[in-house]
Amino acid sequence: MFKKLAIGLVVGGVLAGFAHSQEVPFDFQKLFFIIALIGAIVFMLLDARPVGTMSGGKSAFAVTAFWVLLVTVCIAGASLLPQFDPADERAKIDKLLGKERAASQKGKAEELIARAKALDEQVKALEERLKGLGGGQAATASQAPSVGDKPSSTAGASGGGGGDFMKVGEEQWQLQECYNCHKLRGEGGKKRGPELDNIGSLLTVEEIQQKIADPKSFMAEGYEKEWQKGIMPNKFKDLMDPKEMQALAAWLGSFKNTSVNTPKPIKKN
Amino acid sequence: MKKLSSGLLALVVLFSLCVAAASVHAQEVGASTVEFPYTGNRTAVWVVAQLHILFAAFILGAPIFVVISEWLGYRKQDPRYDRLAKEITKVTVILFSMTAVTGGLFIFVLLAAYPQFTTSFVNQFYMVFAVLYPALFIAETILMYAYLYTWDVWKGEKKGRHIALGVLLNLVCLLILFVINGPTSFMNTPPKAEGVSPQDFIAAATLWDKIANQSWFPLSLHRIDGNVAFGGFIAGMIAAYMYMGAKTQEEKAYYDWMGFAAIWIAVGGSLLQPFTGLLLAYEMCDYDFSFCPYMMADQLSMFFEMQGMMIGLLFLAINYYSWLSVKRIEGAENVRMTILAPIVLVVLLPVTMWVMNSYWIPDPMSLAFLLPLTLSPFLLGRFIPQTVSARTVIKIGFIVMLVSDAVWLTPGGFVATGTDMPDELKLPEGWDYLASMPAKLSAILTLVFVTVVNYVLYNRTIKQGTILWGKIDFVSQFVLIFLAFVSTWTMGLMGAVRSLLKKYFHTYSLVSDLSAESFTPTLSYSAWWITAITVFFIAIVSVAALVALRPSVSKVREPEGSPVPVGVK
Repeated sequence: MFKKLAIGLVVGGVLAGFAHSQEVPFDFQKLFFIIALIGAIVFMLLDARPVGTMSGGKSAFAVTAFWVLLVTVCIAGASLLPQFDPADERAKIDKLLGKERAASQKGKAEELIARAKALDEQVKALEERLKGLGGGQAATASQAPSVGDKPSSTAGASGGGGGDFMKVGEEQWQLQECYNCHKLRGEGGKKRGPELDNIGSLLTVEEIQQKIADPKSFMAEGYEKEWQKGIMPNKFKDLMDPKEMQALAAWLGSFKNTSVNTPKPIKKN
Repeated sequence: MKKLSSGLLALVVLFSLCVAAASVHAQEVGASTVEFPYTGNRTAVWVVAQLHILFAAFILGAPIFVVISEWLGYRKQDPRYDRLAKEITKVTVILFSMTAVTGGLFIFVLLAAYPQFTTSFVNQFYMVFAVLYPALFIAETILMYAYLYTWDVWKGEKKGRHIALGVLLNLVCLLILFVINGPTSFMNTPPKAEGVSPQDFIAAATLWDKIANQSWFPLSLHRIDGNVAFGGFIAGMIAAYMYMGAKTQEEKAYYDWMGFAAIWIAVGGSLLQPFTGLLLAYEMCDYDFSFCPYMMADQLSMFFEMQGMMIGLLFLAINYYSWLSVKRIEGAENVRMTILAPIVLVVLLPVTMWVMNSYWIPDPMSLAFLLPLTLSPFLLGRFIPQTVSARTVIKIGFIVMLVSDAVWLTPGGFVATGTDMPDELKLPEGWDYLASMPAKLSAILTLVFVTVVNYVLYNRTIKQGTILWGKIDFVSQFVLIFLAFVSTWTMGLMGAVRSLLKKYFHTYSLVSDLSAESFTPTLSYSAWWITAITVFFIAIVSVAALVALRPSVSKVREPEGSPVPVGVK
């Protein structure tokens, strides 16, 4: 038993040491070491003496203890892995859904106003009928301000009015996560899409905008397979308004770094 | 019949909720939503939906498992298969009510949390929710009870008729699965067309267009084999409980055998799981490529790291169970296998990695390399005189599995999101192929291959030796419980992943989730809930198993004595 554990420790140590010598990050060294240890445990289990049958009470206790162990290992295992900070995503989503949320709030407020107005109409009609009946008591009711007359507190979406146009473009690059496929300024990209540092020298702002709205309109040289498969999603015209798309295109059009080999776009349709 | 009526009652409640939702909320567009305490709305919907899916997966998967078992019993004239099938059916019938209850609760929570979305969604699939699904559910209920209550009536010569009823039940179950996967997959991949806005396209789309969306068929396939595997693993756990509580050697022998049979049926489904899962992922990425980085490199990358761990453990546990099963076979030490088997085991991972980097499956060239290699031990083995003992082959298989697990678990970097990964955390150049998709596929293929070799070996051992049923190492029962836990937990994890893929939409790119909760939760937070769901589900299944199966192992009641007049004593 101890021999197997020792072998596991040695194999893990050698693996981690070799990975360290190759400048593999520490987390990977830990992974290789842990797998070697799991290997040792597996081989210890393979050759372990058989466990005899337990009585009902003992088995119930053993099963409960086993459950506690499983639950702990699962939660601890998942919690020890790096955690994505939802605050990053929330900030993005707030920007992406800001206008829609505002519109939804506005819609709800408008509906409330419409209902209040309808009620107001009913009150007025009732008042007229009461007046017709000769009563002057209803006059006070009409002096009360109706809900519909209240000033709306709905905050309108700013829409970036007056802001820096180029900043809106850069923001869209981040929000639409274009960096997942395209490399720019040496960041992002996994070779799924072309590097874009020189795109401004190859396409006009209008052409870039056309490419974003209709990914099939241009094909980057060397990306025939990706173009045919339609890797670039055809959804951005639905996710951005024309102004945002124009800003993104203008911002991308400002990249004219000729030292980067951005593939030549070929007009398709 | 009480159970039947309570099941139907739950269905009626569910149906009325659907209809009421469609009519009431259609009039109240701006209806306020409820805020669930502690969990929030999104988590509340997630927990109830996942519970419903687990129960539904069992009641849809178990009948497939059951009818296979019944048919095997009939064909082999082995009454153990028949008993296994009947016992699992009894548990299924109890869990059937839980499926209806959680289904009704799901609609209720969904309506409370997202009334406007639920209304529009029910309206999109009105025919499915108001007609097809309830009709099929009623048919399934009737068939399920008929199947259970005709068990002892339709035996002997009428057994074929009973099996046919089981097949019919399965057809209805499959139909339900395909029907309900329409709306489910629609939320991930609503149909679209180039040049038309998604809203305009959906407005003009027929019900069939909406159901037959891009991820519908792969999701259904993945769920079919997943449900078979799940049914098997849960049956294995039930067998373990019963084995532990068995009083006689005969009962022990039976439940030992039941665990063995359940696990091998589960393994059959599990071997297909990675491939149908990949097909589903492929179709999702093909629909919208942004799903791919979101899953593999961005917010969900560590969810997949966790999935890798769970699947790795699942395969290790399956093969460990197989090892323990071989150990209790008399004469197992004499069983040998061609030397080609360990050779192929060792070279398979590197060769597959090289092939997949050069020719992507299903390129005929990749198959030209891989098919002969994997089949060679079975086709050419008999012509090669050198052999190795079964135990050595299994042990080499374990080493290969551990290496494959290591490859599968190696990410591009141990970071929560790969989008802005610092260089010092990245795998250096020269090592980065370990994090590539071909490497992951090779690792899966190798894990599956090792399990197949072990299965062949196990079968050979059974033929040459004598199985001592009831004499298996007691540890094996914990392995069965472990397998049920891991498969349930992994289902919960992957259910969360599939749902999170919609990102900040209720229906991807069509209906935004405007609530403040529409973001990706952390893996740790998700793990707590997945674990809670798993524990709750398994606790209910355990109670159902004890309730359904306890009478069959309880002592025969003492005959009551003749009444004695008061005062005589």
